[in-house]
Amino acid sequence: MRAGAEVFGLLWHHRALVVALVRRDLAARYRASLLGYLWSMLNPLLLLAVYAVVFTTVFQPRMAGAKPYALFLFAGLLPWLFFSGALLDAAMTLVDNGPLLAKVVCPAEVFPAVTVLAHLVHHVLALPVLLAGLAGCAVLGLHPFPWTVLLLPLALVPWVLLTGGLAMAISAVGVHFRDTRDLLANLLNLLFFGTPIIYTLDGLHVVWLKRLLQLNPLASVIEVYRSLAFSGRFAPATDWAVALGVGLVAWIIGAWLFLRLRDTLVEAV
Amino acid sequence: MRGRIVLRDVTKVYRKAVREGRFQSVKGALLHGDLLRGLSPREQFVALEDLGLEVAPGEAVALIGPNGSGKSTALKLISGILRPSAGEVEVEGRVTALIELGAGFHPEIPGRENVIINGMLLGLSRAEVERRLPEIVSFAGIEEFIDQPVKVYSSGMFVRLGFAVAVAVDPDILLIDEVLAVGDAAFTRRCLDRIARMRREGVTLVIVSHDLDLVTALADRAVYLRRGRVVAEGPADAVVARYRSDVAGEEAGDTEGQERVRVVEEGRRWGTGDVEIEEVTFSSGGVPLRVVPSGADCTVHIRYRVRQPVEDFVFGLAWHTSEGGLVGGHNTQLDGLEPRRLNGAGEVRCRYGALQLASGEYWLDVAVHAADGLAYDYWCRAARLRVTAPVGWPGVWAPAHSWECDQPLWDAGPRGER
Repeated sequence: MRAGAEVFGLLWHHRALVVALVRRDLAARYRASLLGYLWSMLNPLLLLAVYAVVFTTVFQPRMAGAKPYALFLFAGLLPWLFFSGALLDAAMTLVDNGPLLAKVVCPAEVFPAVTVLAHLVHHVLALPVLLAGLAGCAVLGLHPFPWTVLLLPLALVPWVLLTGGLAMAISAVGVHFRDTRDLLANLLNLLFFGTPIIYTLDGLHVVWLKRLLQLNPLASVIEVYRSLAFSGRFAPATDWAVALGVGLVAWIIGAWLFLRLRDTLVEAV
Repeated sequence: MRGRIVLRDVTKVYRKAVREGRFQSVKGALLHGDLLRGLSPREQFVALEDLGLEVAPGEAVALIGPNGSGKSTALKLISGILRPSAGEVEVEGRVTALIELGAGFHPEIPGRENVIINGMLLGLSRAEVERRLPEIVSFAGIEEFIDQPVKVYSSGMFVRLGFAVAVAVDPDILLIDEVLAVGDAAFTRRCLDRIARMRREGVTLVIVSHDLDLVTALADRAVYLRRGRVVAEGPADAVVARYRSDVAGEEAGDTEGQERVRVVEEGRRWGTGDVEIEEVTFSSGGVPLRVVPSGADCTVHIRYRVRQPVEDFVFGLAWHTSEGGLVGGHNTQLDGLEPRRLNGAGEVRCRYGALQLASGEYWLDVAVHAADGLAYDYWCRAARLRVTAPVGWPGVWAPAHSWECDQPLWDAGPRGER
C-alpha cells in the first residue's frame, strides 16, 4: 500500500518533468513523419476498415452481443493495444533512457509513467475513430449509439492503474534481464487469446473453458471498458469492483517491486 | 556559500555485469533459480572502500588517481546518481554533475526542448529554463541551430550546449568529471573562465581529472585514490606531486615502482630514499633564523644525503600558507639548471633577494625528485617560517611599492616610503 502511494507522490512531485518527457517521446516518434500525429488516428482507422471488410465479407462470426462484429472487436482491441504497447515499450524504457539515469541525476520512476502516458495519448487520439465507427453504425441502423461511451474515462482508470503497475515492474526487471521484452511479447500473445477480446464469455458454450477464462483478471477490465464503449450499458458492479481491485493490486505490487529494485537500476542500465 | 558535502565511511560495491561470460537472462534465472541469490565475493567489485571526505562550502577539491581508482564512482555518489552500499553521503545545496556533456539529449528532438528537459532534471521549472534559454544559447553559440534536432549538431555544438545548460542552473555544487577535455581550445578556455567565475561566487567544486596541471590550477585540495582507497590527501600541488611520483615509479620499475616509493610519514613524506633531505633551515643576512621580516633577504638551506647516486634530479620547493593555500613554488628544472650528478652529502640553497611575503606563518614543501616526477624524497611541511611586517598587509604578497601623484594629495605618512 505504502509503495503505491509513495510512487504516486513521487510522480506528482515530478509531474512537470513527466509531462515534458511525454511531449518529448511523442515529438520524437512523429518527428520527420509527414502526417505526424495523424498516424495515431490513421493506424486504428485502417485497422477498423480491414476488420469491417474481413468480418462482413470473408468471415461472419456469430456471437451473442457482438454485432456488428468489426466494431465489437475494435472496441475491445483499443484498450488491449494501449496495454500491450505500453508494456512492450516499458521493458526497454529504462535501458533506452540509460544516459539520463547514469549521467544526469534523474528519478527513474518517471520513465514507466512516461511510457504509459504516451500510449494513453495515442489511445485517446484513436477514440475519434471509435466514435466515428459507432456513429456510422448508428446511422446505418446496425447498432444503436452507446451514449455511455461518454463515460469512457471512468473505464480508463483501472486500465491506467493496471498498465502503470505492470509497466513499473516490467521496466525494472527489463534492466536486469534483457530478454524481458521477447518473453513478454510471447506472454502477451497468449494472454490476448485468453482474454475475451475477440469473443465474449457469454458466447462461450464450453463450460470448463468459460470457468477457466473467467479467472483471468483482465476479463473484468475489458468488460467495464467494452460495455461502455460498445454495448451501451454499465458493466455489473462486481466487474467494476474486480477491475478496480485488479488495477490497484497491480499498481501496488508494481510500485513495491520498482522501489525495491530502484537502487540497482542505474548500475545495470 | 551553501554547497557542502560530507561522505562518511562510504563503500560502493558493484555487481559484475557478466556472469560466467554471459549476459543474464530471464531464461537463465528461471532455469537456475538464481534471480534472488546473494552475491558471492567473486561477483563483486569494490569500487570504493570506507571513503571519508568533507568539502566545505566554496572549497575546490580534486579527485585524482589512475583509472579504476573510484574517482568517478565517488562523484556519482555525491551527485546522487548512485547510492552507497554502506556509509553515508550528505549533500547540502543544488548539485550539477557534469559527467558527460549532453548526456541524455534525445537526438530526434530540437535543442530547445532538450535544454528544457535537462534544465528541469537539474531542478529548474520549465518557466525558469525558458527564461534562461537566451543566455544558454548564446553561451553555446548555436543560435541558428536551437530549433534543429540535436542529431544534426556537430560534436562541438553538442558538448557546448550540454555545458551551457549545466552551468545555467546556478548550482551550489559543481561536479566535473573529465569533461573539459572535449571541445576546442577556445571552448575549454570559456568553460574554465565560467568555472572561475562560479568559484568566486562561492560555488563548491569537485573535479575528477587526469589533467594534473588543471587540478593544481583549479583545486585547493586534492584526494589521491587508488583501488578505492585514499592514498594521500592535502594541498593540491603536494598530492599531485605524490601521484606523479607514483606514476613515474611505476613506469620506471614496471609494477614494483609503487613499492619503491615508500611512505615515510603518511600524507606528509614519501620517496624512494635514494636521496634524503636531512634538514631544511632559513637564514637572513647570513644568520640562521626562523622569523624573517617582510622584504628582507632570505635563503632556504636544504641539507641532503645521497644513498644511491643519481644523475637525474630536480630540487624543488613550494610555499604554502598555514591554511594550506599554495603561495608559489620553484624548482631547478623550471629554472633551467641541467643536472650533472648527485652524490655524497651537501647543501642546496635557494636565495631570495627580498622575501615579498605578507606577515604570517608559511610552510615549505621541499623535494628532490627525478625529471619525470619520481620522488626520491618529497617532504610536505618540511619547515615553517614566520614573516613579520610593520603593517598587516592582506593576502600573501607584500611587494615593495610606493604611491605617486601629480598634485600634493597627501602629507608624508608616518612610515614614509616603503
